[in-house]
Amino acid sequence: MDSGGEEGSNAEDYALPTEVEMLKNAWRNEKAAPEILKFDSELVLRSRKQIQLMMDLDRTMYLLRSYLRVRLLKHCNSCCSRLRSMCSTLRKTAELRNRLSMHEQEFARRCAADLKHHLEASVLSKLPDQYQSHLRQSAASEEDDMVSEPKLDVYVICRSKRFLGAFQLDDGMEEPISIEADDLYALPYKSIKPLVETGQIDLV
Amino acid sequence: MDTTKLEGIRSLKLRIMYGRKASELVREFATCEPGQISSFNNDLFAQVLEECDGHLLHLQPLIRKIQEQENTLRDVASQDGSEVSEDERLKTEELKTSLRSALKSDQFGALVHHLSLVRNKRCLMAYVYNRAEMIRSLGWMVDSVLPGDIQDKLSTAEKDYFKKHVATLQSYMAELDLLLTVDMIPPKDPFVKVRVIDDIGQVALSDQVANLSKHAIMFLRRIDAEQYITQGQMEELPS
Repeated sequence: MDSGGEEGSNAEDYALPTEVEMLKNAWRNEKAAPEILKFDSELVLRSRKQIQLMMDLDRTMYLLRSYLRVRLLKHCNSCCSRLRSMCSTLRKTAELRNRLSMHEQEFARRCAADLKHHLEASVLSKLPDQYQSHLRQSAASEEDDMVSEPKLDVYVICRSKRFLGAFQLDDGMEEPISIEADDLYALPYKSIKPLVETGQIDLV
Repeated sequence: MDTTKLEGIRSLKLRIMYGRKASELVREFATCEPGQISSFNNDLFAQVLEECDGHLLHLQPLIRKIQEQENTLRDVASQDGSEVSEDERLKTEELKTSLRSALKSDQFGALVHHLSLVRNKRCLMAYVYNRAEMIRSLGWMVDSVLPGDIQDKLSTAEKDYFKKHVATLQSYMAELDLLLTVDMIPPKDPFVKVRVIDDIGQVALSDQVANLSKHAIMFLRRIDAEQYITQGQMEELPS
């Protein structure tokens, strides 16, 4: 397939060189002939299969790109936590770092560094000495009170492939719930975090 | 009423005006239309910073005074010996009470300035941080060059930050050898029908070399057309 009226294009990446040429020939002939020519059903069928293949590949590409993008956006928007992890060596941040690919780690590091530099240049360097920390409101703060963590207690819709039986939610006050296969549940993410990590529950 | 108490109350009254400019700054950002960014308000930003400096000027002498008063109080308290007369003991108690009350009003004054400063800091940080979020999202939509009208709305530091962020993104994509700024919507069709709006000329697309001339209607690969459509140089036609 090529754009209307254009010169011959190079072969598609994953189509046989002759496929497109044959289709183009048929198309050119049909356009030029004064009468209707014979329908090449084989060719049409093959071409449609090729396009379907392209569409599947397209969709897979989209999925791949979107997956990576969503992760990147989470890095960007959780720059605050990254800012903290740049400065401390808590076990938690090591665990967090293990979830990232090598390239993502570098990206997250640069993202946080960019943002830290930007905040310092725009705001912090212009404030009085005791107030120049990006993690603490002032030198008098006892903890990193300028930074917030991602909220893990939001509710998510989830579904389990198998019957998981009685499961105790975090709050400990209510009775354990029974997780059936293929039923949809709305549960706090924090409670089912370990199940998501081991792949026993999928988020919808 | 002694002067130290008066000063404490005066600080409290002035405080009602403190933080107002910072609120304005944050409100300005919040009332902006979603997807739009307002011009960086250099004036208001500078005024809030000035306020912070003003708070510091009040804060430093107050802290010195507080330390002196605390020392005096400690000295007086340590003098609480056994062999003093009833009279002297009463006098010492009175002195301690008045010292404590002076100390308290200075502490309140200092607290007011400190809290106002910290609030201004939070507002300034929120302003810059949230604008930075918008700037990052721009990095996904345009190539490395910002359109002129958006450039005018950013501060120098923000333009710098945008460049850095685009470089970080591009470095990541180069490592993966995968463009992530295309393919932003789920595909229905690998090809789209478009009308070219701007005269773009000869371009090497992913599968062909095409002449993108004004008003031309063409079938292009979706990922090729995407950036042009986002930037308004092409429009998608229903096929």
